[in-house]
Amino acid sequence: MQTIKLQSSDNEIFECDLAVAKCSATIRTMLEDLGIDENSEDEVVPLPNVNSAILRKVIQFCTYHKDDPVPSSTDDDENKEKRTDDITSWDADFLKVDQGTLFELILAANYLDIRSLLDVTCKTVANMIKGKTPDEIRKTFNIKNDFTPAEEEQVRKENTWCEEK
Amino acid sequence: MEGFTMVDLQALSINRDDHNNGSFRRKKELELADMFKDSTIEKLPDKVLLNIFSYLSHLEICRMATISRRWRQIAYDSRLWKNVSLRPEISGLHVGSLESLMTLISARFGPSLRYLELPIELITHHVLHELAAKCPNLTHMLLDFQQAMQLHDFSELQAFPAKLRYLCICLSEVIFMEGFMRKIYNFINGLEVLHLVGTYEKTDQEEEEIYEVINVHKLKAATPNLRVINLYGINFIDDSHIDAFSSNCIQLECLAVNFCNKVTGATLKTLFQRSKRLKCLLMNGTSLQSEHVMTVEWDKTILQELDITATDLSSECLIDMLTRIPSLKFLSAGQINGFNDSVLKAWMESGNCKSLLSLDLDASDNLSDEILIKFVTRYGAQLQACILSGMAHITDQLWMTILPILKSAKILVMGCHERLSVNIHVDQLMDAIATNCPKLERLELRWDPENLRFSDKSQKAIDLLRVKCLKLRCMVLSDGRYYELVKANFERADRMTVVRNTTCCRVSPYYMIQNYNDLIFN
Repeated sequence: MQTIKLQSSDNEIFECDLAVAKCSATIRTMLEDLGIDENSEDEVVPLPNVNSAILRKVIQFCTYHKDDPVPSSTDDDENKEKRTDDITSWDADFLKVDQGTLFELILAANYLDIRSLLDVTCKTVANMIKGKTPDEIRKTFNIKNDFTPAEEEQVRKENTWCEEK
Repeated sequence: MEGFTMVDLQALSINRDDHNNGSFRRKKELELADMFKDSTIEKLPDKVLLNIFSYLSHLEICRMATISRRWRQIAYDSRLWKNVSLRPEISGLHVGSLESLMTLISARFGPSLRYLELPIELITHHVLHELAAKCPNLTHMLLDFQQAMQLHDFSELQAFPAKLRYLCICLSEVIFMEGFMRKIYNFINGLEVLHLVGTYEKTDQEEEEIYEVINVHKLKAATPNLRVINLYGINFIDDSHIDAFSSNCIQLECLAVNFCNKVTGATLKTLFQRSKRLKCLLMNGTSLQSEHVMTVEWDKTILQELDITATDLSSECLIDMLTRIPSLKFLSAGQINGFNDSVLKAWMESGNCKSLLSLDLDASDNLSDEILIKFVTRYGAQLQACILSGMAHITDQLWMTILPILKSAKILVMGCHERLSVNIHVDQLMDAIATNCPKLERLELRWDPENLRFSDKSQKAIDLLRVKCLKLRCMVLSDGRYYELVKANFERADRMTVVRNTTCCRVSPYYMIQNYNDLIFN
C-alpha cells in the first residue's frame, strides 16, 4: 500500500495511506501542483495549519471513511437536503469531543478541504444551536453581546416578524 | 449524504472497543480540551459559520441575528435566503406585516432569491413591485390564493417579476383571478412550467356551484413557451381548456390534469395533432370516455408516459390505445375495470411494451395471476417500477415467483388493505427482495399487519435487506408490530428516516417520470 508522510505544525511526522491523505482536496492539489512524486518515500507534505493532535483525529476520520462513495458534484448546495439528523453513530461518537477540539477540527477540515468532515462537524454545531434561545447560545459558545442597546432594539425589531405564529 | 449510510459493522465494533479503552482515552481527551480551550466558535471563518447556518431553519437564522454583530451580518447573508416560503401553514415563516416583508425583500432576499412562496395576505402590488425591482433572479414563484375571501385591489399593479420560469397558483373556489391575472400577462411570457392547483382535496359536496375562477383562454395567450402544464384537481377545467392550451403552446411536453373530473378527452385528438412534443400525459381520476380516446392517432405520437388510473375506459379502448402507442415507458393504469387479461395479452403481442420501465396496475381486479406472471416473465427484467398492489389474489407466492426477474426494480408496491384468509410470509419475501433487487429505492407493503407472519428469523431477513439494498430510502408498512420491528432495525443502523407507515407516506411511481422535478408543487 502506498503511503505518504504528513508533517503537522508542531513538526510531528505522520505516515499514512495515500488514499486516506487524498480525502483532502488541499493535499490532492498540493501533490499535483508541487509535483511531489508520489513514489518518493522521503517526501514530506508540510501542513503548517494543523497540529498533531488534530491531524491524528483527521487521519482517523479519513481512514474510516476512505471507501465511502464520493458525492457527485451535481449534488451541489442547491439540491442537497439540509438535514442534521443523519449523522451516523460512528461519526457522532468520533465527534464527542470538547468544543475547542470540535472547532479546531472544523478549521482543519476547512483548511484541508475535506468536505465530508466539514459537513458532519458543521451539522454537529447546528444541532448544538437548534432549539436554544439567543442567551443560551451566547452562554454555550461564550459569545459576547456587542450590540449597543440601540442596536439591540433595532435588530430585535428587524427580526420580530419571524416569531412563530 | 448517502455516503454516510454505509456502516461497516466490523469496523464499527473495533472502533467502539478502541473508544472504550477507558482511562487512556479520557486522559487524552482532557489534554486535548486543555490544549484548545482558547478555540471558540468565533475563530471560525464566516464561510464556515454560513455553512453551519445553512442547516438551520429561517426561523432559527433570524434568532441567530440577535446574538452579536458578526452573527447578524452572517444571518443576513442573502445566500441563506434563496428558497423562502412565507406560508406558515405549510412550514414556512410567518411574516406579520407588509412593512416587514418590504424590508426583507430589499435587505435580505435581494438578488439571491430564486424561489418564493407567498400567501394571499402578502400578495399586493407593493410587494410584487418590490420583488420585481430587487430580486432579478427570482425564477420560481408560488402564489397561494386558496384561503382567499377577497382579492386585493391590483389596479395599481405595474410590475411583476419578469424572469419567472415556474409559476404555481393555488386557486380558491370563489375568487375570480382576472383582476390580478390581466395585470401580469405581460410579464409571464417566459414561463415554462405552470401549475394551477384546485381545491379537489378540500371539497366533498358535488352540488356546490362551480365558478371558472381563472380565464384559461387569456392565460394561454400569454404563455406560449410552456413545457409543463399541471392542472390539478380543478373542478371547472374541461376539454375546451386543454384545447386552448394546445392551440398556443407548441413546446408542450407534459400535460397533467389529474383529478379534473370534467375532462372527458374530447379534445385529445387535436392536442396530439398540435403538440408534437407531448411525451407525458397524466389523467388520473378524470372522466375519460372511450369513444374520444379511440379517435386519437396514438400511432403517430411520441408519448412515453401515461397515467389513466381510475378512469372508466373500456377493454376495447385500452387495447386500441396500448397497441398503437409505439413506445410507452411509463404506464399507470390501476383501478380500471376494463383492464383485463385480454388487454395485457394484446399489448404483449403488439410488442409495444419493449421500452416499458414503469408499470402500475394497482387494484386491477380483472387481471389473473397467470397473465401477470407471463407479462413479468417477458418484461420484468427491464421494469424499474412495478406496482401490483390492491389485488387480494396477489400474495407473497406470486411475488416469490416474479422477484427473481425484477432485477432492475427501484420501486415496488405490493399488498392490499383488506384482511386476507391466507397469511403473508414476510421473512421469505424480504429475503427474496434483498437477494434480487439491489437497486431498490422505494418499497411499500400494504398488507394488513395481522396478515404478516414473521418469526424469530425476521431480524436476519431485515438485516439482509438493509445491507443489500443500500439505496433504499423509503420503506412503507402498515402500522403494527412488523412495522415497529423493521423501523427499530433500520434505526439501530443509523438509517433513521427510511421506514415509515402508510398513514403518512405512500410510494408512487411518479419518481420515474422525466419531468418529475417540474411536476412537484405545494
